[in-house]
Amino acid sequence: MKNVLPLMLLVALGWGRAVAADLTPAQTDFFEKKIRPVLADNCYKCHSTQAEKVKGGLLLDSRDGLLKGGDTGVAIVPGNPEASLLIKAVRYTDPDLQMPKNKKLDDDQIADLVAWVKMGAPDPRVAMVAQSKWDDNKTNHWAWQPVKHVTVPQVSNPNWCRTPMDNFILAKLDEKDLKPSAPADKRTLIRRATFDLIGLPPTPEEVQDFVSDTSPDAFAKVVDRLLASPHYGERWGRHWLDVARYSDTKGQPRRNTEDNLNPFAWTYRDYVIRSFNEDKPYNQFIMEQIAADRLASWKRDPTNLTALGFLTVGDHFMGMQNDILNDRIDVVTKGFLALTVTCARCHDHKFDPIPQKDYYSLRGIFDSCVEPKNEPVIAKVTATEAYRGYYQQRELLTTEADNLEASLPGFRKSGDLDAFKEARRTLQQKEHAIAELDLNNPGSPERAMVLEDAAKGHDSPLFIRGEAGNRGEIVPRRFLQILSAPNRPVYTNGSGRLELALGIASKNNPLTARVMINRIWEHHFGAGFVPTPDDFGMMSDPPSHPELLDYLAMNFMTNGWSIKKIHRLIMLSSVYQESSESNPRYVQIDPGNRLLWRANIRRLEYEPLRDSLLAIGGMLDTNIYGKPVDLRKQPDNTRRTIYDFVDRANIDDVLINFDFATPDMVTGARHQTTVPQQALFLMNSPMVIQVARRLVATPDFVATEDDAERLNFLYERIYQRPPSPEETSLGLEFVGETPLPGEVLPLAANNDGGKKFNQKNNQAFPGYIMKNRAPLTSWEEYAQALLQANETSFVN
Amino acid sequence: MNQDEHSAHLEDHFLTRRQFLQRAGMGFGALSLAAMFGNELFAPAANAMEAEATLLPKAPPLPAKAKHVVHIFAQGAPSHVDTWDPKPALSKMDGQEIPGQNGVAMGSPFKFEKKGKSGIEVSEVFPQMGELVDDLCVVRSMYTDIPAHEVATVMMNTGSRLVRPSVGSWVLYGLGTENQNMPGFISLRPGGAPPGGTANWQSAFLPGIYQGVSINTKVPTLNMLIENIRNPVTPLPEQRRQLDLVHKLNEIHSQNLQKDAQLESRLEAYEMAFRMQTEATDAFDLNKEPQSMREMYGRSAQGNQMLIARRLIERGVRFVQVWAGGWDHHQDLEEKLPDRAKDIDQPLAAFIKDLKQRGLFDETLIVWGGEFGRKPTRDRNGGDNPGRDHNSKAFTTVLAGGGVRGGMTYGKTDDFGAASIENKVHVHDLHATILALLGFDHKKLTYRYNGRDFRLTETSGEIVKAVFA
Repeated sequence: MKNVLPLMLLVALGWGRAVAADLTPAQTDFFEKKIRPVLADNCYKCHSTQAEKVKGGLLLDSRDGLLKGGDTGVAIVPGNPEASLLIKAVRYTDPDLQMPKNKKLDDDQIADLVAWVKMGAPDPRVAMVAQSKWDDNKTNHWAWQPVKHVTVPQVSNPNWCRTPMDNFILAKLDEKDLKPSAPADKRTLIRRATFDLIGLPPTPEEVQDFVSDTSPDAFAKVVDRLLASPHYGERWGRHWLDVARYSDTKGQPRRNTEDNLNPFAWTYRDYVIRSFNEDKPYNQFIMEQIAADRLASWKRDPTNLTALGFLTVGDHFMGMQNDILNDRIDVVTKGFLALTVTCARCHDHKFDPIPQKDYYSLRGIFDSCVEPKNEPVIAKVTATEAYRGYYQQRELLTTEADNLEASLPGFRKSGDLDAFKEARRTLQQKEHAIAELDLNNPGSPERAMVLEDAAKGHDSPLFIRGEAGNRGEIVPRRFLQILSAPNRPVYTNGSGRLELALGIASKNNPLTARVMINRIWEHHFGAGFVPTPDDFGMMSDPPSHPELLDYLAMNFMTNGWSIKKIHRLIMLSSVYQESSESNPRYVQIDPGNRLLWRANIRRLEYEPLRDSLLAIGGMLDTNIYGKPVDLRKQPDNTRRTIYDFVDRANIDDVLINFDFATPDMVTGARHQTTVPQQALFLMNSPMVIQVARRLVATPDFVATEDDAERLNFLYERIYQRPPSPEETSLGLEFVGETPLPGEVLPLAANNDGGKKFNQKNNQAFPGYIMKNRAPLTSWEEYAQALLQANETSFVN
Repeated sequence: MNQDEHSAHLEDHFLTRRQFLQRAGMGFGALSLAAMFGNELFAPAANAMEAEATLLPKAPPLPAKAKHVVHIFAQGAPSHVDTWDPKPALSKMDGQEIPGQNGVAMGSPFKFEKKGKSGIEVSEVFPQMGELVDDLCVVRSMYTDIPAHEVATVMMNTGSRLVRPSVGSWVLYGLGTENQNMPGFISLRPGGAPPGGTANWQSAFLPGIYQGVSINTKVPTLNMLIENIRNPVTPLPEQRRQLDLVHKLNEIHSQNLQKDAQLESRLEAYEMAFRMQTEATDAFDLNKEPQSMREMYGRSAQGNQMLIARRLIERGVRFVQVWAGGWDHHQDLEEKLPDRAKDIDQPLAAFIKDLKQRGLFDETLIVWGGEFGRKPTRDRNGGDNPGRDHNSKAFTTVLAGGGVRGGMTYGKTDDFGAASIENKVHVHDLHATILALLGFDHKKLTYRYNGRDFRLTETSGEIVKAVFA
């Protein structure tokens, strides 16, 4: 059903006019249907740029090659089949010149070739080389234009504007005759800021300090304190890990040759957290994630090499190399540029000016890279007992694995299938044991999931229709056309990754700064200027505030690409400090609140939700960095959720239910669904019950005898505010009643079928969970109700 | 600056959800505001681009013949020439080279017999299914792209090798589900994960609400089936009292802010969660079935799964995927294949009879089949006890129920079953047909993601109208 010819489409879309001028659609059609398949199937093996050894100096995979001919002369004379060597060869009339060697072509195929030469050998492949004509509509798109210096607009109410940013917001509101909402109260503001920057609620003391600080820079002090917190990197690092499709497993490892675990993915995760904490300039952050191994800096600090995990923590697609490369092209172009370059894998991009050749330019870069079998150690290794133990075990396992791997071809050859399978199974076990050792052994030194340049960089052929067996012209490694000056330099430095990184981390790149500013804005306001953070192409909605986007992007670049400075700029503005109060008239004019006439109400993602529940219960383990913990296996572990073991092919149900960014693709904006499993988590999960119990067991709570004061305590801890009179009376009423009696729902056995009834699993609740099976007291139930209520899960 | 404009009086414009439902005489969970008033006003700002995801039942755009789908996935790739596609020519050639097939013919070790009024030949390995052949539509001309298990399994369930929503997710997206107390798309597996894992029931870029809920039917306790389905300490009546308090707290919170759709929809989620605690586990509780029913399905892993599937369909679940694999017979086919057939023969036959007696057969589309087929030749690795190697060019898928004509075969493979040659049905075509039976034009059931309209059948798919009743 693959009948859509990419070239026909080009013609139809009008941006391959050079093609149209040379060939009629019928000619192109004839070539694609009758000629190209014959050449590809029967000739390319020996006569193409991809041939292992080109025979007779003849290349048939380009028009130039055909016309130039090989050692015996020109292959075809357009219009004259009788004079064409190629025709002579396929006809098998000359015993010394018979091609293909093993089998004569069918008569039909020969007739087609003759007809084709007769009509002048129309060959669309020549047109592919020609520069595609650029359609103005496509090149005028706002996102490809340079970031502009913009003037701060005049507004109706200059007093409202604390920062120039606010002028841009108010100017847009003025156009619609809308007014910004009142400033948020201090408690709301500090809660919003704290969740925004560190993903945790403020403590009652922090709230009190802020409320009683009447100095004009009170909020600036809060923002600076939060930006300096080591938990800032955990919050913002997680946003970036969504983009980086981070996982501690490969998902689909190469069969037989690697284990599913990524034992060192966490070193990349820590790199990301650390980079945010250190306010690493964003351009440097980009450079390191694409080409840390090509920068001098890693020699001073080898941990920088961990940055390359950005490229390598993707799926391994059962070893299908073309899919692995596709994933890397995808994460780089969507992640940094919000461009869907991978749409051009099989054909020119349908909407954006990204020719298919651009995809293969990038493919050449990543195809010129290798992942070393053993990742380099980046920590200083000292010969401790632990390390020696690790080293010995690893050497042993590696030797065993190598021997097994070496034995496989022998078994296969001898036809001893059982022995072969057994060896393969054992090999897989050894590989898993090595990965487990690397991940879990305390003596295992940190390593970086690097990518390295191959000995020699090479260009990639274009795959026609994306089919690996259908190779077209060779495409040089170089940057994307739409982001380049007319004479794009060809990449020559190794794989070209360093040059690619420089092209992206550049002030001249119209997308890089805008894309990151948009991501930052989204996580502060609930939506970006451009609502599709990973696609700024022609199909995306235009930015709500294009001038402000440029203002911030310019500011970002001229202030050393400092992300923290951008946070500060944004958060000290009036627009950030608006209240979330609604307005019925405004709802009708701007239902999505794109103009930001108020603050959006935002639901916490799973990570800050779980983390804040643990913090509220006084149970949060605040250690930063380190190896992952599998919260499914250790449900009573209270480390922050960013340290949870992410298993790409087997994501924890609870994460799925809370719209976790599945690490299969770049996820700049998570879905937000409301499903009953989320409610079940807050209603029934042993963790939430435990938090409720812990709250009520807090010494301060126990020491308080007055019920109203107890309510106050719970409200301050959970919502960072005192209860209203209405809420107090509701609470007093609830705790005054005796819990209703009754049995908990039985944990009935499911079925009696299945041969492997596993008694070990036959426990009501896994792990810690319910050592304490006593019913909740009214106070505990009340505390849990507060945790279940919306205010816990939402920031306003 | 006019502060007055910002008082929280959205309810002046719209009834609150609760008021509306009270006046309309409806209970919770009947309708959502967004469904009533259109999405724009109530879509949360963060997802202004995205229509609100809902599980509420929706009418399909075209006349539908089926309302539910049960897909029994015979993972591992069953041999079609030993089950549903008899090849006497192959038996005649047994032991000889088949020209062009690069191997030695392996006639089926199993007898085929004409069954039912239709006289369709069915292998002896499916005695009970054979009796029901007049209810079955045997599609003998299936083919797929790549003869590798993982890739083809995911392909069969998502129509792609890339990260794409599964058929069940598309159906749920298009139709919603009839029982708001239960997930609308449930995948049943007897332990372990199939090749491709969650990719087989993923929602991918569709909202997570359309994701299949994967249930390991071999776990020993009900509460392990759906995470947090049981509260370990609080009895139901008391939990009701607590939940009422939660709603009151939310009411106050919501008034202080605005009637925001994302806050409102949580009320519904909590009420559904509350009901799921009894309803959802009930659906999986086979102890509630009479002994005779247990015997009819057979007390086995697949018997249990098919019986659970029936209980789910009865409760309005839209799409049930049942994993019934183990068909990868490279060797010992004669010995092993009948075991796999036996696993599912009685349960599936019981399921069909049971749906019929409950009047659910006509509205439930049943699909049985694997990810590809097998070769007519001996697998070289099979030695003295041969099996067959992978074959993506030919396999059989059996359809029944909802809108499908029983007692027919469709399409043909060549004399040896090496390749489908007549009325070929690609995986995309099967998907297009499933969607058509549910009332959709597969080309129009699309979802916009990253600026492109995606659909289940990518750029292909022909509806096989000949199988319609």
